[in-house]
Amino acid sequence: MQISSKEVFFLISLITIIFLIAPLVLIAYVSLYNRRKKKHNEETESLKKAFENELLRSQMEVQEQTLKTVASDLHDNIGQLLGLTIITLSSININDPAKAKEKIAAAEDLAKRSVKELRALFKLLDGEELISRGLIGAMAFELDWLEKSQLFKIHYHSTLKTLPAKAGKETIIFRLFQETLHNIIRHAKALEIIINLEFINDLLILSIADDGIGFNFTEIKKLHKGMGLQNIQKRVAMIGGTVFFDTAPGTGTKITITIPY
Amino acid sequence: MTLYFTVNTVIEFFCLLIACLCLYKDRDPIWRLCILYLLFTCATEVSAIHIRKVLNQSNLPLYNVFLLIECGFISSFFHYLYKKYVNKTKWLMIWLSIFIFLFFAELMSNHFLNFTFKTASVLSLVFVLASLYFYYLILKDEKFERLHNYAPFWWVNGTLIFYFGSTSTNIFFDYLIQDKISNFAHSIRYIIFNILNVLLYCCWSYAFLCKYLQRKSSSSLA
Repeated sequence: MQISSKEVFFLISLITIIFLIAPLVLIAYVSLYNRRKKKHNEETESLKKAFENELLRSQMEVQEQTLKTVASDLHDNIGQLLGLTIITLSSININDPAKAKEKIAAAEDLAKRSVKELRALFKLLDGEELISRGLIGAMAFELDWLEKSQLFKIHYHSTLKTLPAKAGKETIIFRLFQETLHNIIRHAKALEIIINLEFINDLLILSIADDGIGFNFTEIKKLHKGMGLQNIQKRVAMIGGTVFFDTAPGTGTKITITIPY
Repeated sequence: MTLYFTVNTVIEFFCLLIACLCLYKDRDPIWRLCILYLLFTCATEVSAIHIRKVLNQSNLPLYNVFLLIECGFISSFFHYLYKKYVNKTKWLMIWLSIFIFLFFAELMSNHFLNFTFKTASVLSLVFVLASLYFYYLILKDEKFERLHNYAPFWWVNGTLIFYFGSTSTNIFFDYLIQDKISNFAHSIRYIIFNILNVLLYCCWSYAFLCKYLQRKSSSSLA
């Protein structure tokens, strides 16, 4: 079969046009995909910034909470001890050496206890120092202070001794823990607090339960009353975790936080 | 003299001029090598016209020699572009060995008389794949590049358009050189290559300009 020159011209022109259009489409696709990549990078960057902001806020809140604890400890504990020391010292009668010696010894003991309490306070003052003990250490320290108040019976269950250090996450988790305890102290009217900490398949599971008055979760959320609850949910989501509230009026509250760690 | 002024030579000299202006102070030796490569291209084109039109001889052996330079330069350039993402020196060596083998095998089978169009077709195919691989590396890379003024991207765009677009003429090369449609077919081939050359050198000129602007902005920042 004889192919005419016109047909050859048409055929080759057509193929060339197709072969020219194909790379142009490809280049357009690469440019488009690249633009999407830019958008994705910007979103990642803004998420990173939001995380950093949240971390900073958590650090500030940890410090604020620590200062509150220090203030109340100074008032309730060290203030009392020093007050007692003053009373003991001012009641000394130098004409009665035997009793005076006894009172001086008691005052010395009170002063020593005050110094011990102050030392512990200094350690607590540095919020970062607290977290540098590791998450488990910081949580134990927080629970010690709470237990010392003798307002709650605390049960802490965990077989974990240490956790790998993850600076940003540790601070946020610690702040979540602190915030939850703070909510119990302020609102729950509880007598008992049960804390469970587990690490299963790269997931850190922290549950905090109390025997307090509980609350209607849906209602509180609908009325936007629970800013603390929203904060907890927001922060847990930020570190890729989930939070579950198991509560009802009169049945206490159990909060379970699961975080990939 | 007007004999030497064709669409191809004009666009090649234009690109050479842009390369000289934009790349002569460039930090990357491979980009500076573009000037030398374009000089070779222009010299080949002018010599080919001279041999064909003035001496009335076949210029195919000249294009055969140029094919070696073309393969060496474009392959090295791709290797340089990949280096930012991956090291493919072994690939370059293997490809160049295959190319040399194919080239001389075809040359010997043609008795050094004809253009090594089969090797040229393989070359086109490999450069198309190399361009696609470069796009893949760009897309895979986590770092974002502004492609509209990213010199390597435009260099690859020109290369892809040229080698992909020339595929049809490469496929029909055998048919195009048959005597019965010789005159007509040659004109088609010539027109297609004119268009492809214009697209290639426009893209490359723009890439050189981007490279120049990039160098200027980085030196002003420093």
